[in-house]
Amino acid sequence: MRRKFTRYGLAVLCLLAAVWLWLPEIRPAHGQSGGEDDPEVRVLQGVLTDDTGEAVAGAEVRVTIDGTQQDVANTSHEGSWEVELVELPRNSLRVEYSHPDYDNLPAHGVDSGALDRLLDGAILDQGQLRLRTRPALVLVGILTNEQGQAIVEAEIDVFYDDSAEPVGSAHSLETGLWEVILPRPGAQAPAESVTVEVSHPHFEVDAYQLAPQDVEVLSDGESVNIGQLEMTNRYTLGFWVATLTFVLMLGIIAFERLPNATAALFGIGVVFTTTFFGGEIVPELYIFNFERALAYINWEVIFLVMGMMIVVSVIESTGLFQWLAFMAYRWSRGEPVILVIVLVIITTLASALLDNVTTMLLMVPITLEIAIALDLPPASLLVPEILASNIGGITTLIGTPTNILIGAYADISFNDFLINQTVGVVVALVVMTVYVLWHYRKVFNQGEKGISPTLYAKLEENAKIKNPTVLRKSLFVFAATIFVFAIGENLHMVPAVTALLAATVMLVWVETDVQKMLSLVDWTTLVFFMALFMMVGSIQEVGLIGAVAEGMSNVVGSNLYIGVFMIAFGVGLLSFAIANIPLAASMLPVVEYLSGNISGAASNKILYYSLSMGAAMGGNGLLIGGETNLMTAGVAERAGYPLSFGKFARVSVPVTLLTLLVGSLWLLFRFEVLGG
Amino acid sequence: MDVILCATRGGEASIRTQQRAIALAKEQGAKLVFIFVSDVSFLEHYTAPRVPAMEGEMEHLGEFLLLMAKERAEKAGVEASFVVKKGTFSTALVEAAKEFDASLMVLGRPAAHNITTLDYLENTLAKRLREEANSDMLIV
Repeated sequence: MRRKFTRYGLAVLCLLAAVWLWLPEIRPAHGQSGGEDDPEVRVLQGVLTDDTGEAVAGAEVRVTIDGTQQDVANTSHEGSWEVELVELPRNSLRVEYSHPDYDNLPAHGVDSGALDRLLDGAILDQGQLRLRTRPALVLVGILTNEQGQAIVEAEIDVFYDDSAEPVGSAHSLETGLWEVILPRPGAQAPAESVTVEVSHPHFEVDAYQLAPQDVEVLSDGESVNIGQLEMTNRYTLGFWVATLTFVLMLGIIAFERLPNATAALFGIGVVFTTTFFGGEIVPELYIFNFERALAYINWEVIFLVMGMMIVVSVIESTGLFQWLAFMAYRWSRGEPVILVIVLVIITTLASALLDNVTTMLLMVPITLEIAIALDLPPASLLVPEILASNIGGITTLIGTPTNILIGAYADISFNDFLINQTVGVVVALVVMTVYVLWHYRKVFNQGEKGISPTLYAKLEENAKIKNPTVLRKSLFVFAATIFVFAIGENLHMVPAVTALLAATVMLVWVETDVQKMLSLVDWTTLVFFMALFMMVGSIQEVGLIGAVAEGMSNVVGSNLYIGVFMIAFGVGLLSFAIANIPLAASMLPVVEYLSGNISGAASNKILYYSLSMGAAMGGNGLLIGGETNLMTAGVAERAGYPLSFGKFARVSVPVTLLTLLVGSLWLLFRFEVLGG
Repeated sequence: MDVILCATRGGEASIRTQQRAIALAKEQGAKLVFIFVSDVSFLEHYTAPRVPAMEGEMEHLGEFLLLMAKERAEKAGVEASFVVKKGTFSTALVEAAKEFDASLMVLGRPAAHNITTLDYLENTLAKRLREEANSDMLIV
């Protein structure tokens, strides 16, 4: 029995040995033979990275054997994973990877060769696999005030259900756009509701519930755009401080208590003091921070003005304006009517292409000499020159500071101004000249014609071109500059770049004394612009401009005719006394809002042209309406020929009203009848 | 020969001052010097970089105005010359009075509403002229 048992045992052992040796040949095809009897542990491993090759930690790796999920592993910080297979596959071995922030890789099977190696006991390394980053799950929207203007730097918090902590936060951007990145479902998902809470120092805090269908979309892992959210203005203490400071600044400028730049710096100083000191004690005093203030500075305007200042400084140093005024005297042969017409033409052209303040300043002394020579009251020549200089600048982008502001804000090119305003301006100038000639008709008929040869020689000497070579070169550069302004649009070159290039050429080729030329740049004006932009920004930030826009919109509605007349005459009449640069700067967002409510006005920009006409023509209204007027009067007064407020107003008020009417009618004709 | 300084500029009121100064010079057999003070410092309020250029232009204008005054004086048989000074009005006048050793300074009367200026001329400037340049002042 024992011997028999031993024999059977040996036979089994031999059989097993034979089977063992023969195994590769007799092993069934995959799926025909199980490995369940094999006690050895097989290892499957790999590494997961993202698109950039960075390790993906926390990804789930699922191994499915013969259609049944068997093992799950998570990737380590290095992205590596390892699964120990207790059971061996009969038919198939598939691996899947998933992570909430990445697209799932399609499940893949292990090929037969690899499976053989695995069954042979090898560690099967799947190598490095890349997961594609899944687009973030975002909630997007736009935040506006009641006038539809973007609200910047508002805080947006998103809450799921009744959670106390937000699941995501963001700040609104320059366009009012905000996007909050939310955790993808899987990590966290809304069950019933999603609340968006928006807050800003100058608006009421609001909470918006997402519509159920939007919540469902978010739960499905899709992003949602909830569109425009409107916030209600809150008139804080900061609102009143900014508003009163702005009005005070305008008053200081109007009454010349301080230079413009000082007045604007004073204003912004009050705003910052209120924000940073007052706001710490009483949060309601907060107006805006320095970063927001800087964002309001239009650097395109600053560089355009600076570049043109250098260009004009070179040209003015040649004595061109004085020579032109003298030539007007010669061409007219002392005939006052012709002289006025020629002076108006010269002043208009010079103001359209150059800075009108400089043009007028340099022409005043020689004009006084001509008036004295002809025994005419100097006012009869100076007043039409002032009026022409203020009107003439309207035709081009660089003609007036207000046009520079408008052009940069509304993206109106050099050619646009030229095409859309020139005819209106020419008609307005004709009306102005006719009125002036009629007003001074008696003195023009009384003037003596002729002076002594000595005086004539002195007049001629005073009007001599000082440096013909510099004049020739600078006029060449200037002509090229105007040409580039005109074609710059096609090259996508902003006017500020053209002005800077022109200034550079002037400094390199025409007038190389850089110290001298930079000393002729009116830095105080540039500082004024910067501080003014920040001041206007402060009243925009607290909601004053929005409120003004809303009030004006209630009157204008969608009526283009009322809009054009209201902007032109409203701004024009205010410019009688208020400096037109801060006025135009603060009106730009208002015009933008009104344009949005009138069909076609946003695309053809008619209301911006109306603002341009109103601000420039309105500056003619009174002697205190513009710097050109005040400086001319100042120079005349020091020469012994005071230009009184009343004398000026008798001509300027009717002329201003007439030219505003002509300008407005032209704009309506240009855009309503001619179209465009 | 005595020297009379006449501070003047353009305009009707200045012509009256010039005529009075011419008459005085003729009467006293004095030489007449017209003076124009170019002060454009007010422009610094608006555009400081333009001040030097405007000073030059105002100087030209002053010379033109004084040339006319000189022609008037010479027509009346009075020997006349002129000078244009830059700077503040009172300092320029005192400097000119010392420079020409003037015995008399003739000035136009400020407009009726300008009491402060008249008071300044009659008290402060007259005193300075007397003390610093040994000149009398006549407001006409």
